[in-house]
Amino acid sequence: MSQVEKKAGLLRRTSSSKKPLKEKVVLMYDEIFAKEDPAKNNPRFWDELFLMKVNLEYLESKLESVDGEEVQRIQDNINSLFHHCVQALGEEHQIKVVNALQTLCALFRGVHQKNKSASGFDIINMLMGFDKAEQRMKDLMERLDGLLCGDSSESLKSLCLKLLLCLECLLCYNISQNTILEYVMINSIFEAILQILSDVSSRGQHGYDAVVLLALLVNYRKYESVNPYIVKLSIVDDEPTLDVSMLSQYKDKEEENQGGFFSTLTSMVGSMFIADVDEKLSVQTNEAILLALYEAVHLNRNFITVLAQSHPEIDIPVTPTTPTPTTPTTPLGTTPPSLDMMNNPELPLDPNLQTSNLLITFLKYASIVMQDTKDEHRLNSARLCLIILTCIAEDQYADAFLHDDNMNFRVNLHRMPMRHRKKAVDKNIPSRPLVCAVLDLMVEFIVTHMMKDFPMDLYLRCVQIIHKLLCYQKKCRIRLHYTWRELWSALINLLKFLLSNETTLLAKHNIFHLALLVVNLFNMFITYGDTFLPTSNSYDELYYEIVRMHQVFDNLYCMVLRVSTNTGQWKEAASKVTHALVNVRAIINHFNPKIESYAAVNHISQLSEEQVLEVVRSNYDTLTLKLQDGLDQFERYSEQPKEAAFFKELVRSISLNVRKNVSLNTLSQDVLLKEFSTIS
Amino acid sequence: MADAEVSLSPALRTLHLSSSHSAQPPPPASSSSPTTFSCPSSPSSASSSSSSSSSSSCSESSSDCPAHHHHHHHHHHHHHHHHPRPQLQLPPPSTSEQPSSPSASPRSSSPSGSIGSTGSLGSSSASEGIGSSGMSSGGDPRGPSPPLDVISEDAMEMDLGVDQVIDPEVALKACQEVLLKVKLLDNKQQQDDKQQQQQYADVTERCGPQWTINPDTSSIKEEDEDEEEGQKDGSSSRPDPAPPNSRPESSSPSSSKQSWLLRLFESKLFDVSMAISYLYKSKEPGVQAYIGNRLFSFPDSEVDFYLPQLLNMYVHMDTEVGDAIRPYLIHRCGGSITFSLLSAWLLGAYSSDMHISTQRHSRGTKLRKLILSDELKPPAAPSDAQRSVSVSESPVSSPSHRHGHRRHNSNSVEASCTASHSPERPMHGEAEVFVSPSRRTHQRSKSDATTVSSGPGAGLRRTGSNPKVEAVHEEPERLRPQREFVKSLLCIGKRLATLPTKEQKTQRLISELSLLNHKLPARVWLPTAEHQHHVCRVPHTQAVVLNSKDKAPYIIYVEVLECDSFETSPVPIRIPETRIHSARSAENLDCGAVANANSSGSMTSEHRAGSFSTVPNYDNDDEAWATDDIGQLQVEAEAQTSSSDNISQFSVDSITSLESKEPVFIAAGDIRRRLSENLAHTPTTFRRDPEDPSAVALKEPWEEKVRRIREGSPYGHLPNWRLLSVIVKCGDDLRQELLAYQVLRQLQSIWQQERVPLWIKPYKILVMSSDSGMIEPVLNAVSLHQVRKQSQLSLLDYFLQEHGSFTTEAFLTAQRNFVQSCAGYSLICYLLQVKDRHNGNILLDSEGHIIHIDFGFILSSSPRNLGFETSAFKLTSEFVDVMGGLDGDMFIYYKMLMLQGLIAARKHMEKVLQIVEIMQQGSHLPCFHGSSTIRGLKERFHMSLTEEQLQLLVEQLVDGSMRSITTKLYDSFQYVTNGIM
Repeated sequence: MSQVEKKAGLLRRTSSSKKPLKEKVVLMYDEIFAKEDPAKNNPRFWDELFLMKVNLEYLESKLESVDGEEVQRIQDNINSLFHHCVQALGEEHQIKVVNALQTLCALFRGVHQKNKSASGFDIINMLMGFDKAEQRMKDLMERLDGLLCGDSSESLKSLCLKLLLCLECLLCYNISQNTILEYVMINSIFEAILQILSDVSSRGQHGYDAVVLLALLVNYRKYESVNPYIVKLSIVDDEPTLDVSMLSQYKDKEEENQGGFFSTLTSMVGSMFIADVDEKLSVQTNEAILLALYEAVHLNRNFITVLAQSHPEIDIPVTPTTPTPTTPTTPLGTTPPSLDMMNNPELPLDPNLQTSNLLITFLKYASIVMQDTKDEHRLNSARLCLIILTCIAEDQYADAFLHDDNMNFRVNLHRMPMRHRKKAVDKNIPSRPLVCAVLDLMVEFIVTHMMKDFPMDLYLRCVQIIHKLLCYQKKCRIRLHYTWRELWSALINLLKFLLSNETTLLAKHNIFHLALLVVNLFNMFITYGDTFLPTSNSYDELYYEIVRMHQVFDNLYCMVLRVSTNTGQWKEAASKVTHALVNVRAIINHFNPKIESYAAVNHISQLSEEQVLEVVRSNYDTLTLKLQDGLDQFERYSEQPKEAAFFKELVRSISLNVRKNVSLNTLSQDVLLKEFSTIS
Repeated sequence: MADAEVSLSPALRTLHLSSSHSAQPPPPASSSSPTTFSCPSSPSSASSSSSSSSSSSCSESSSDCPAHHHHHHHHHHHHHHHHPRPQLQLPPPSTSEQPSSPSASPRSSSPSGSIGSTGSLGSSSASEGIGSSGMSSGGDPRGPSPPLDVISEDAMEMDLGVDQVIDPEVALKACQEVLLKVKLLDNKQQQDDKQQQQQYADVTERCGPQWTINPDTSSIKEEDEDEEEGQKDGSSSRPDPAPPNSRPESSSPSSSKQSWLLRLFESKLFDVSMAISYLYKSKEPGVQAYIGNRLFSFPDSEVDFYLPQLLNMYVHMDTEVGDAIRPYLIHRCGGSITFSLLSAWLLGAYSSDMHISTQRHSRGTKLRKLILSDELKPPAAPSDAQRSVSVSESPVSSPSHRHGHRRHNSNSVEASCTASHSPERPMHGEAEVFVSPSRRTHQRSKSDATTVSSGPGAGLRRTGSNPKVEAVHEEPERLRPQREFVKSLLCIGKRLATLPTKEQKTQRLISELSLLNHKLPARVWLPTAEHQHHVCRVPHTQAVVLNSKDKAPYIIYVEVLECDSFETSPVPIRIPETRIHSARSAENLDCGAVANANSSGSMTSEHRAGSFSTVPNYDNDDEAWATDDIGQLQVEAEAQTSSSDNISQFSVDSITSLESKEPVFIAAGDIRRRLSENLAHTPTTFRRDPEDPSAVALKEPWEEKVRRIREGSPYGHLPNWRLLSVIVKCGDDLRQELLAYQVLRQLQSIWQQERVPLWIKPYKILVMSSDSGMIEPVLNAVSLHQVRKQSQLSLLDYFLQEHGSFTTEAFLTAQRNFVQSCAGYSLICYLLQVKDRHNGNILLDSEGHIIHIDFGFILSSSPRNLGFETSAFKLTSEFVDVMGGLDGDMFIYYKMLMLQGLIAARKHMEKVLQIVEIMQQGSHLPCFHGSSTIRGLKERFHMSLTEEQLQLLVEQLVDGSMRSITTKLYDSFQYVTNGIM
């Protein structure tokens, strides 16, 4: 044995002297890419390999440069390398583990670069060999699982997550075609991810990666097969985990985005070209987090309550944020809740701190995102936000929380500066039940997005969210003290916009559907107002508003009547609106003459609001309305099939983005290596 | 010092009694023995005992050892005696049995009993107190312990002085002296006494209470055949004071006064109130000691009412009084966590007025420390379990508990020191408190008990309880969880006080409480509640901060699960907040979920995942879930709908019967009308006001709140679920409130007893220190201030709005309630001189009663010493309007009620006076300012007036209050300064 060793050492020394420019590790790589089994001459080859500092670039380029035939020849060696990498993950020496992880990353990436067009199976064969793939992947996943759950160093865990992200994103453009993921599905690391998320310290450091990873895993072939991650995510009910998993991350994102948002503002004023790559990057990383939030809200019934009832957080003062998503951040509100509470029942004490919770943070974030929907990513984010809100509005527990009269919050939504309105004074917002903030947000959206490039999809969602909230209020007899008038006038303005842009909009959208939804919102108020309006006056005001804006409704009626009498693709849709308008028209036709005659009798040219209200009040009894069916019915949200395409696209864009980041980050692991070399 | 001598004999009895106490007779016996007994009798002594005694540094001769044993026997004997069992008269046991007997005795009957019988003889004659301490130790060969610490603790108890360590020799001498005296005096009567004692003991045992003996035995005691009857009666069990009465006169020469007293004491009329009164007034140690003993015979709940008085006396009065009370306190502390904590809190509060480092001060604080050190806990877990298990088996169990107590003489200082040990040990069985020897016995007995009971007891414990919770909360200290709980509540209050606005406070409160929730359920409870329970959750979103200028009192609602005993029942298992859903539809989903998910993922995963329609195959399931939710909602909604509400029914119909296309017409006027009717029907909701967050929360009818919270709680489905509420106050001294509460309670019961329909609502007060505590909120009530501010109506109009027009039943009932409560509180305000009567301090409940709160200014104190509020009580024209005006029948009724109430109160003046008077001891509370507090109070009862004169007085008072503009003035003063209308 010793002889052989010496010999090998000698050999290498000589060879290195021949080519002095090459690192030892490079030489070893070369050996792997030779035909011979590298361990043939040097039984300790693999051991030594993982003691070397990895040269990722070289390895990757080497892999890339191998052409088809060579692949066949060296496949055994590559398989062997892969195998030994996996083996090395179990080593005690952390340095070996780190190197093995890096090597694996390089392997996946290199193979992928090489094989961009081909789909997974070749890759699997090349790396592991078909026959052994299952076992190898199982081993790999187990090792990774062990590393993630064990008490290995944080940077090591971080590398593991990176590797997993590599696996997910690198191999294929479309995540659902990534066959290697099948193995990840079979060998679930869900628990490991959860553990990371529920541990305070690790959450801070790896939370982002873990959340993104989870989001991606959940989206793997979600429409084609049973994804175990979906199943598992849907049944998690561990409060702290759920709670925290998104929270701390979210918080950072929000703050970050505020910075981004403000800088956007200033840049709009100043130069137009400051917003650049960094900006986009942060928006996109937010997409990943949003997706994770969505999955949690959508899949896990428990999470909705957590989202709502999670212990309110203390807002941190805005800290300067760096755009790198991986920056370890102090975990907020992540004090492990259960253990040390009695002993240390103190929260940081600062009167200036406001209490908050995930939902509030989310609402604020949504208000930022929804301001600018021109960019595709932002549009996606806004859509996702609305989808999340839809899920929330459908959940009765979340609703209960939103409407809880004892839970009042002051939510500062971001409002777009507009010429025709004063900038709202934020400080004066009263603290109200959270549902008011949601409604405000919807109103805000409705008011600010009437533009040529009409976001019809978002509008539909928006109106549906309002409808769902109203249904809840009606069912539960909740009389929300909300200034409904703002909502009414926003909706009427929306109708007005639809009317005046009929031709342009009709080219792209079915505006009748939206109009129907809006009119039915009014019908809700008209028919069921007694069950949820806060005061008797508010019912009068509703009539007042309708009568005041009667022209809009008149025009709308004319328009839908015209379309429905013609034959054409909109005939049916338009006729539905005609029917829906019956009560509104009845009101207008009933009160208008009364008001006119009142004015005539009293010789008043311009009636004051109070006078009109008086007329309204005294003439209810002669008005008969028609009870419309199904006003309080709505279609429950379902991801499939309607939203599937959106989510597929979203996942694709996220994984693209992650891929970019991962490659950036793995390359800069030198620091980490140094850290380990000093340790061991 | 006849008293002293006399008192010795009682000590004996007490000892015996103590032995009966629960599972651990032996240790008590030994401890007590030093003072009282000398026992020459049985030579059987364990060698270990002697050694132990020596180790204890009591410097005992070997001869003492036997005595110890003897004691043990004696104990057992008595113990058994108490049980109405035949074994009583068994022959003496063999020596070999003895060592084991002590521990086993309480349970296992015969052997110990036999021993006891022999012992009893010896004990009577015995007079070597010193030996006793050693003896006790000797009894138990195991568990030698370092004598030093024990002794030091001992010293502490004795209140001897600054120094914790007592010189054992001194103690020894002291004891010997006492014993000598006893011998001299008692020798003649020994025999008789002996028997008597035993018999008494038996009687008392059966009766439950051990009011056994009195200190003056020698003089007072009488022998009679009645005793036997008494025994029989006693066997019937409960604490009927009758048996004591039957006690015959003793042959010994006694002072007539004492015998008179004794008759009184033993009469049926002698109740807790009188006991407290005599305890306070009598300077005779014998009487004090007797009463101290007698306390054991009263039901716990009755004595509990006077706990503040007892503790205040303990803290501020003579050593003798303290010594008389102490055994009882210690005994109760051992038996109850609640009692321990209440006592500790009150002791702290009442000691706070004293100068630091006075001796008396240390007395109270020492006891407090002792309690909080948790050394008084009962013999360990097994005993509890055991108790519950064994109750049926042996009569020993519950009644014996109480017995334990004997307070002897304690006249002489020396005696007191030794005596002080004796009481404790029997009761608590916690050895550490005592001298080392005793400790050993104690441990031993403990261990025995453990083994004996381990079977069922352990089983009980383990099964139901959540291992985690138990592990965390139970092992360290039994008092800890509750103390921590209370502490965190108080800390929250302190921190809230630093926040500037109500809104911030409320939000902060909510987040703090949500953190608290993570620790629940735990072995904690709300001391204000009636029933035993564990707190399982704080619905944090319901908490609100109350109106207060700079302090931050707040009200929380607390979900509890009732249980048999919060001390022993298993703590409920935590149900995560997030399980509400599953708890409703599929209970077992959660538990199985994880496991199933791994294996097949079928059932559970479908269920849950399916609900969101992610997985195509499970669409049906999805439907099921979805409809389930909606269905539920609708059911709820329907339930809430009143019959008048057609529309929502329509809507439901319209959903279900889509086929019928016939148009349904509705009148817009109907909708509008329903809206205003609905709103009118719920005038009970107040508008949310960020400056007054509590108004809305308090206005919500309690039942509704309970229902709402129950629906949202993961524990709501449990049958023993209850909702409680409590106000937490920080930075306020509630001692006066507590005093007022006691007076109110007393007057309430007086009026009940005299059948005067005055209505008042004393709300429970918990004093936790001199500047913190808790208050039981008055349910369904809001302040007059809030009523006025929110409704903008006069009080009468508000009544009309809430209850209906003048002639309706509802209004009339509410009016009557208003009058009866006004009369009650008018009297209270007059008698107690309650000041600061602005509208924020007067509540109106949903039935029309007014309820006064905030007794911060009573008796001799008045706000800011301004001359405001000179009227006797608050009677505004608004009040009179509600009563139907000055000439109305109701107003006459009001005055009549006051007269009747005053007459009734006068009849029982002493009971009221006593409460206040005792609390004045050592107190610096503003209500006791000056010297004439009590005199003034007494004068306000007008004992000298005839009923006609009283009537005149009432007229004058009413008249004066009405005419007085000061009330009005005061209201505007309050409005200007505090914003209270």
